[in-house]
Amino acid sequence: MAAETPNHAETAGADHGAHASTGTTEVAAHGGGESGGLPQFRMEYWGGQIVWLFLIFAVLYILLAKVFVPRLRKIKDNRAATIADAVNQARSVQAEAEAQAKAAQAEIDEARSRARGLAVEAKAKAAAQLATSQKAEDERLQAQMDEAEARIRGLRDQAMSNVRGIAGETAQAMVEKLTGQKVTAAEIDAALTARAQGAA
Amino acid sequence: MADPMHQFEIQKVLDLPAITLPGIGAIDMSITNSTVAMLLAAALVVLFFAVTTAKAAVVPGRLQVIGEGIFSYIDDLVVGIIGHEGRKFFPYIFTLFVFILAMNVLGLFLVFTATSQLAVTASLAVMTILIVIIYGLMRNGANMYKLFVPAGVPWYMLILVTPIEILSFLLRPVTLALRLFGNMLGGHVALKVFAGFVVSLGALAATGGVASLGYLAAALSLGGVVALTALEFLVAFLQAFVFAVLACVYLNDVVNLGHHH
Repeated sequence: MAAETPNHAETAGADHGAHASTGTTEVAAHGGGESGGLPQFRMEYWGGQIVWLFLIFAVLYILLAKVFVPRLRKIKDNRAATIADAVNQARSVQAEAEAQAKAAQAEIDEARSRARGLAVEAKAKAAAQLATSQKAEDERLQAQMDEAEARIRGLRDQAMSNVRGIAGETAQAMVEKLTGQKVTAAEIDAALTARAQGAA
Repeated sequence: MADPMHQFEIQKVLDLPAITLPGIGAIDMSITNSTVAMLLAAALVVLFFAVTTAKAAVVPGRLQVIGEGIFSYIDDLVVGIIGHEGRKFFPYIFTLFVFILAMNVLGLFLVFTATSQLAVTASLAVMTILIVIIYGLMRNGANMYKLFVPAGVPWYMLILVTPIEILSFLLRPVTLALRLFGNMLGGHVALKVFAGFVVSLGALAATGGVASLGYLAAALSLGGVVALTALEFLVAFLQAFVFAVLACVYLNDVVNLGHHH
């Protein structure tokens, strides 16, 4: 760059030499604002820089304002919309899942109550069956018992009548032996009946 | 030692014919190193945003995150300071920020910093203040005087306050221009001086003897250059940011004139 503009480099070098030798002139040069002091105060370069700056700034502004800012804003809006969408979707899915869970719970409850009803019914049925079968068995046993009792009663009565016969015969034999007179079975029987009636 | 001011010299790269503006005179439109730095910075900005927004993915890549980050950063800044009406100034503030940032950062990599030229920073400052004044007049008309007459101040205080307000308003473009200019100038001069020490002290130390201690000083200077360079990156960002913030603040004064929010 220095090679392209040897005259500038030379003037710059000359300026620096001047500064190095006399500090006071430097201050004076600053006050003047032209050549010397800070290179930024050389007014001959201001015009070009300012015009170029405005040109470049204008182009950059137009590019950013018309192309890149809308593009960036669109990206951000897009993202916001996407996120909002996803959140909404997730919320609806969650609501659906909750509803499904509630339905499943209701189904379970219903099934449970149905099962409880079935159990109660079965128990009642079993109890009824048990009661009927027990009753039938009881009746059967009662009948057997009654029959057995009747048989026993019959046997006893028979035995008792046999006892009366035997007692009559014994009494006839004893009267005959004791008194030597014959008594008839009818007399003995009548006597026994009278005794039995008297005893009763 | 190399002259630390040499880096600020304007040098012509390509001679172009001068143009004559009415009322101002002939202006040398030659391409200088300053123009090249500005063009490079602008091209870099355009290239950067072209690359970062090319894919426009909903799930951004690394570069896109950076591009969107800068965008959101300035967007939040503008809306935060000016309010929702600030949206229409966003492209201007955004351009200001990225352009100054690009020039500042390029200055750390190349040999020339456009923002260390007062002509550049003053133009940006004057442009900003002109936008403030023109928009303020368009929006508020005659009410613009309220800018210098704070509400609720008794008249006898206004005698004192109004000239101060006017003075501070007039100084705004000056401080805006000088802050950026001074920071860039100072940083680059300091870098150059410390870098010059490394060479001159090293050369001195090379003569041997007691002067060998110069190596230590040269190493310290080198460390200083490294630290300063890191600092300059911070300053490059910070000054672009400060310029954008102040532009927002000045715009806010005229956009929300009379009602502070």
